[in-house]
Amino acid sequence: MSQHNPLTAGPGGLRRRSVVQALAAGAASVGFPAIAQAAPVRVGYAISRTGPATPGAQTSQEPNFLMWAEQQNAAGGLNVKGVKRPIELISSDDRSDIETCVRSYEKLMGSDKVDLILPPWGSGANFAVAPLANRFGYPMLAPTALSRRLVEMKLPYFFLMLQQPKPMCEALVDMFKANGVKTVAVIYTDELFGLENYAAFKVALASSGMTMVEDKSFPTGSKDLSPVLRSIKDKNPDAFVGFTYPADTVLASRQSKEIGFNPKFFYASVGTAFPFYRATLTPAGVEGVIGMGSWNPKTSPGAKAYFDAHVKSQKKEPDRWASGACWASLEILTAAVARVGLDRKAIRDFVAGNEHDTILGKIKFAGSENVGTPGTVGQWQKGEFEVVWPQSRATAPLVTQKPAWA
Amino acid sequence: MSLGSWLELIASGLITGGVYALVGLGLNLQYGLMRILNIAHGEFLMVGAFLTWMATTSFGVSPLLMVPVSFAVLMAVGMLVHRLTFRRLAATSPNLDIFEARGLMVAFGLMFLVQNFADAVWGGDLRGYDYLTEPVHIGGSQFAANKLLLLALSLSFSIALIVMLRLTLLGKGVRALMQSPTGAQLVGIDTARLHPLMFGVGLGLSGVAGSLLSMAYTVSPSMGEPYTVTALIVITLGGFGNMGGALAGGLALGVIEALGMHFTNPSLKALLSYAVFIGVLLWKPNGLFNKRT
Repeated sequence: MSQHNPLTAGPGGLRRRSVVQALAAGAASVGFPAIAQAAPVRVGYAISRTGPATPGAQTSQEPNFLMWAEQQNAAGGLNVKGVKRPIELISSDDRSDIETCVRSYEKLMGSDKVDLILPPWGSGANFAVAPLANRFGYPMLAPTALSRRLVEMKLPYFFLMLQQPKPMCEALVDMFKANGVKTVAVIYTDELFGLENYAAFKVALASSGMTMVEDKSFPTGSKDLSPVLRSIKDKNPDAFVGFTYPADTVLASRQSKEIGFNPKFFYASVGTAFPFYRATLTPAGVEGVIGMGSWNPKTSPGAKAYFDAHVKSQKKEPDRWASGACWASLEILTAAVARVGLDRKAIRDFVAGNEHDTILGKIKFAGSENVGTPGTVGQWQKGEFEVVWPQSRATAPLVTQKPAWA
Repeated sequence: MSLGSWLELIASGLITGGVYALVGLGLNLQYGLMRILNIAHGEFLMVGAFLTWMATTSFGVSPLLMVPVSFAVLMAVGMLVHRLTFRRLAATSPNLDIFEARGLMVAFGLMFLVQNFADAVWGGDLRGYDYLTEPVHIGGSQFAANKLLLLALSLSFSIALIVMLRLTLLGKGVRALMQSPTGAQLVGIDTARLHPLMFGVGLGLSGVAGSLLSMAYTVSPSMGEPYTVTALIVITLGGFGNMGGALAGGLALGVIEALGMHFTNPSLKALLSYAVFIGVLLWKPNGLFNKRT
């Protein structure tokens, strides 16, 4: 997200909540003499705890960081090439402001010289921080970035966990085609995320025989999309596609219900896979909505264990898309450190050169891009966000006609 | 475009505009009467929204019941804030201009304070609940019931405030203060009582707006800020201190935005709002509805 608003640019928000938690977890295990002696592994990151990017960051990303440190420390510490060392998280709030985010990482890597970094939230922030991390030689496995341009930058230390716009949009178009969709209407947020997905979707659509009957951009955080949705409703498309952020996802859904716009397929992006979406619109209200999602507890036994641990530790459910990718990135990082220690070049080579077992399945990278798992589509069915496309990844069959909004 | 579509479009503009007007009126009361440019105005709207969300989802209280409760709570908060900050500021500032500048700084501080308070208490997550989202058919068009309620209540509160200012003795005192602070004090109008009361009413109205917004939109600690900016545009449109003007300005801005978004692109909404804002500042710097030029 990029809304830099002078009104929020204040001295707010620096917190050390996570450090305190990590230390508390460390203190709880003082009984083990080996840990008391081992120097902590210092892991730094900046993430949104205030400002517009907070909902996404606090759903998909930071809870995983906290839980990772908690779990590792409870087990005696992070395995660094056979030596267990406690994790010390050094974190701060980037106030959803990219400049603050970049400066925080500059400090973490340049002057604090932390051992490892964890990524910030969102395509925009990753776009800004990735080149910097690359320059300092810190491997960065980003679970919340979708951008072809990030792949094209060919940064050797940067890895994208999520399936990128191209495979995601191809999976969607594929699914539409297999289910007889002829016309599509698209809205997209006018930020990097929306623009790139819209572009990829247009390319995927070009050779499919489907027509785009409407395409409009909007600023994230809009309060009213009904004028656009009404004109889309008049064109009566088979499918609606929104490349949206969480608040937009809710707004577009609510206003579609309001004006009685109920296409055969209703697709929205970030936030659709969030438990908050279901809580706000009620489980019956979200029935049949499709969106960006890639896993749920049925995906693998590891995914189920992760889901349960997340609910227990963070007192809330993970989302069914980037949360899983975030945990998978931490699994890869943990394995890398166990194997090669804290030599960051060696970690980078380990990540780039191997296939990794994760809760999402086998992940491997071609350049920065995860080519191990395919693009997917999810759908709300009876209170769970099921993976419905492609069939090889599906946890439930696709419902091909969205029921009326309830 | 059919007549029904036009009706829907304009009505959706009026619904948004109703909230703009309500927020604008509250700010206008503070700025027009006391020269307090309360940049934190939208933050109190956010508090009203969170209170309503919390009461509804945790205790099952009807959001409708929370509308007057939000008003009362925020009004009390407003009077307290006024007593703690602006009253002292008014006593120590040598003149009105310096008071205005200092008040702006205090309001900035309040903004961070309230935002971080909400963040600490409720967290940064998006929140929301389902209330009266069933569509209602009117003629050939349809609207969500909660949006119609939003429009009805925001208009009622706005009109009630305007009527109160016009018809009651209290209102007369307030209007006199707006026209000439010194003159009003000379004829015995008690500013020590009126100022905190009106500051409280202003915040109360923003609490009402927040309460209403939570019925239809998502709630988060950063939701208030855009409304502060919009409120500034609205009172500029209507003229500082002009209540009827703020109401008309708010509704007009809502409709302009809706039409603009329909015929161009939602991405251009901000451009449109600011173009109107700059246009009014250039051609009618005292507001569209002020007789003084």
